[in-house]
Amino acid sequence: MADEQLSGLATAAKYYSDYGSRARELKSMGKKVIGYFSSLCPVEILTAAGVVPVRMKGNVSEAITRADAYMETMICPFVRNVFDAAIKGKYRYLDGMVMPHQCDSLDRTSDIWDYNLGFQYYHFLNYPHLADDPSIEFTNEILRIFIGTLEKFTGRNITDQALADAVRAHNNNRRVMRELYGLRKEDVPRISGAEMMQVLIAAVSLPVDESTALIRRVTEEVTNRAPGFSAKKARIMLVGDQIDDIAIVNAIEGTGAHLVMDDLSVGSKMYWDDVAETGDLIQGITDRYLNKLKIPTTFVSAGNTYEENLEARFGHVKSHIKDFNVDGVILFIYKYCDPYGFEVPAIKSYIESVGTPVIYIEDEYSTSSLGRVKTRIEAFLEMIAG
Amino acid sequence: MSEIRKPRALATQAAGKAGKFGRANLAATLKAKEEGKKVAYMYINNGQDEIVRAMDIVPAWSENFAGVCSAKRDAEKFLQKAEAENFSRSLCTYATCTIGFDIWREELGEIPPNTPWGGMGRPDMIIGSAQQLCDPRIKWPQATQHYLRDVPVWMGTMYYPPWDQISDHRDQEELYVKYATEELRALVRFCEQHTGKKMDWDRLEAIVNLSDRTWDVFIDTYELRMAIPTPMDTGDAMNTMVPLTFNLGTQEAYDFYKELYDELKEKIALKKGVTENEKYRLVWGAGLPSWFALSDFQYFNDKGAVFPVETTYRNAEKIERLDLPKTNDPLEHIAWRWVRIWTHWYDKARKRPGSLPKVERIIEYLEDYHCDGVVFHCAYSCRSWHAGIIQQEQVLKKAYGDVPTLIMEGDIVDISSYNEVDTHNRIDAFMETLGAMKRKERANSAGP
Ligand code: SF4
Ligand code: SF4
Repeated sequence: MADEQLSGLATAAKYYSDYGSRARELKSMGKKVIGYFSSLCPVEILTAAGVVPVRMKGNVSEAITRADAYMETMICPFVRNVFDAAIKGKYRYLDGMVMPHQCDSLDRTSDIWDYNLGFQYYHFLNYPHLADDPSIEFTNEILRIFIGTLEKFTGRNITDQALADAVRAHNNNRRVMRELYGLRKEDVPRISGAEMMQVLIAAVSLPVDESTALIRRVTEEVTNRAPGFSAKKARIMLVGDQIDDIAIVNAIEGTGAHLVMDDLSVGSKMYWDDVAETGDLIQGITDRYLNKLKIPTTFVSAGNTYEENLEARFGHVKSHIKDFNVDGVILFIYKYCDPYGFEVPAIKSYIESVGTPVIYIEDEYSTSSLGRVKTRIEAFLEMIAG
Repeated sequence: MSEIRKPRALATQAAGKAGKFGRANLAATLKAKEEGKKVAYMYINNGQDEIVRAMDIVPAWSENFAGVCSAKRDAEKFLQKAEAENFSRSLCTYATCTIGFDIWREELGEIPPNTPWGGMGRPDMIIGSAQQLCDPRIKWPQATQHYLRDVPVWMGTMYYPPWDQISDHRDQEELYVKYATEELRALVRFCEQHTGKKMDWDRLEAIVNLSDRTWDVFIDTYELRMAIPTPMDTGDAMNTMVPLTFNLGTQEAYDFYKELYDELKEKIALKKGVTENEKYRLVWGAGLPSWFALSDFQYFNDKGAVFPVETTYRNAEKIERLDLPKTNDPLEHIAWRWVRIWTHWYDKARKRPGSLPKVERIIEYLEDYHCDGVVFHCAYSCRSWHAGIIQQEQVLKKAYGDVPTLIMEGDIVDISSYNEVDTHNRIDAFMETLGAMKRKERANSAGP
């Protein structure tokens, strides 16, 4: 169980810095632990299977020293960094791994993960990149195949009841996280961007109920904080895929801004939409991950005009900007990331069209370039203030 | 300003003619308007080309255009145009080169001056393919539409069962084929809507049939390259791929390979090889070529090394070997054909412990084409074909044996990624390894 002696924030900080520690504990108690990539992974199915899902992450402060012997350097630096950690044994505690088909850097390295890490269980979840009717039907089927492989691996059936309970538990988890996000709407957010990042990361390393309890504790603690009073600071939103370290957040907040919102795959993307709890649950899961989740690898064909299509793709970003009173957006995209990279001109001009300035930063998954990034962010904030 | 270079000497006459296909394909996109035809931007290996041909839509192959710009060493201006719009250099350079051209054409309202081969016509539609081939196939059309806002984008898919050592992909084949067929049907509806014409199903069937025969004659022809000395190598195949890749379902494509077949037969009868003295036979194991440095194939040839076979641009197989289930639906037939080609080496890989389908394919070529080593090219801007090359090399050595290998580095379009001296030095070192291996083999076979 989560450490009751520590405050919620301190617990989050602990799980953040000793990532996977709770999963290792549970593993020693006989639980099976499954690592997964991407906000596309239907975690409710893993929970229903009775395994502990752990989102895989790397370490931006650690240089890649072994992965290059296995993977080309033109693969997304985030993926290479996580593989580096894995090949160095940091994920030895995992019993298996789920690789959703998000992007080429995952899809085209899938065999490398499977081949070299020797997990007992490995599943490539072949999501389509479309959300039309045939794709929905297809996804329902591949989710059923996925369930079948998990049942075989765990030796127990995933009952309808277990799935319904898991769906409810994850919806609940998303709801409490959204409440915590809500506390960032105030002029001086009750929770800093760095604290929030720690909670987000801790949350994806725990079984869902523990995660929910932790988020609740943090919410309670920060709600009880005295409202902050300070001179107006720029309110920033961070957009990108898996930014999972406080280094970049500190770079933003260290320059005197508040990070108040994100559209990240470990952040709001995970929490903004629920799975329908009534009707066919598999269909509900498909609908959530293909239709509701806003991720650049799922092609959106909504709208009669290009402008309407942009609304369907990025409208959620506009809502976040309004709801969280955002003054500026940082697009932080990893080098060699085609899905996000090709979107930069469209999303940048879309956000600018609502009057919010945007800075686009292409970077590695590493602190080695932090100095340069900081300088650019400082200049951006000066521009906003100016 | 583009640099004028001496083109690579071609071993076959057919290779020389292949360029005409590419040129004619681009010209067709420029003439289409006058002929009252619609133009569609498309992306290769999409399984959609036969439908488009049957609907009399003119395909504008963006990779073809970018490849030509690269071969002419005249892509940089387009890459820079895209970069100025915040498209990173690390993205697929076929895409960024073409997008740069699109942006420029929109700005000018006409083809930018000195565009290689006259450029491409403005499309009436963009037909993307979220095939399990690459991310740019979905992101590139979207990104293009940002500059061509009135042009509709249609997106289809063509997936195949993922490789798994322990489970049989056939259990999932029908699911994938059904899905792909539905997507192709949706494409037919899209084309009908945008041309105002109905699909002529008999015509489509005839085209599909012709494509099958083209795949057959293509493989028959390429298998002639097993001969020693080989009558044609990969340097030529990077040209002779054009009809298969860009003109599938046309009589011209079929005839082209028939002609190439006859030409190779003749060369074999005369024992005319690519080089005077064929010393080493190599498999081009993976990778799109650096179009701006095709002369590197000549560099290999000059050292007595030839490539009788390559995995690149050979996404075809004899139809009978694919054992396609019978169907009266041409769309379903197309789906089966592609699902089966992508999974063609699964069974073999399952039989060899520790192997992988892509590696099995290389092993098959090593043996069938009597090759001594494998060369890969890793193009930095395309993860689709080039991520995983290191693994293929490692698995090949582990599962099969210590075959000499070379991984070259560069790009398909971005010449700044390429270092000729370094590349040639690496080729030289590889030749030494091959030479040492041959000497050892000779010594072993001579006995004590
Ligand atoms: S950052 Fe981009 S390339 Fe990397 S895992 Fe995410 S989507 Fe894929
Ligand atoms: S990423 Fe590779 S496969 Fe995809 S369009 Fe570019 S070159 Fe072709």
